[in-house]
Amino acid sequence: MNIKQYRQTRVLVTIFIGTIVSFAVTKNSYVMAVIGVLTGMLFLVLARSRTKITIDEREKTIREKAAQATYAIFAPTIAIGAFLLLIPSHSRLSVFAKGEFAYLESLGMVFAYLTLFLIAIYAISYHFLNKKYGGRDEE
Amino acid sequence: MRSEQKTLPRNKMKVYRAMHDLTQEQLADKIGVTRQTVIAIESNKYLPSLALAFKIARLFKVRVEDIFFNEGKEAKDED
Repeated sequence: MNIKQYRQTRVLVTIFIGTIVSFAVTKNSYVMAVIGVLTGMLFLVLARSRTKITIDEREKTIREKAAQATYAIFAPTIAIGAFLLLIPSHSRLSVFAKGEFAYLESLGMVFAYLTLFLIAIYAISYHFLNKKYGGRDEE
Repeated sequence: MRSEQKTLPRNKMKVYRAMHDLTQEQLADKIGVTRQTVIAIESNKYLPSLALAFKIARLFKVRVEDIFFNEGKEAKDED
């Protein structure tokens, strides 16, 4: 199976899953929906394993740049989000003193830890990749 | 982005491909990349890695610098 046939199969399977799920929803049968989705996924996995998919260097470059852009946008966004969500809980405003918006603080904490986790993953993977590609000081 | 595109070395891959009577698909298969990559290289939108450049040169039985060149250098050579 070549990539073109695989893409056509993928479209057909997606249509099949969509039809089964919408039919299952109208019949209120969750089991049918789950079976439909699982069958579709299984079929896609089988089709993919029989396809010769070329991932060339241009594709890798694109993935690298996309990952870089995602990190550059996502990390500051959630960091700023966390900061903004944590500010009200530490302010002396009467609205927040009642504890009505306590969930905002929790959300802020989740965002803050998510930011730290993201930065930690980046730092660790950078360290190992730097080592792998000869970024050591010694000769 | 545009300035980066300007500084990319140019290439004669299309010429060599025509000389060897190969389609973009056939060339892509021979060098192990997708047809999109061949199109991108030919239109100077993507600069191949050194390994791929050598692969292309070996396929056409020429030196790398016969296919890939800096525009300035080429202009000087032609003078």
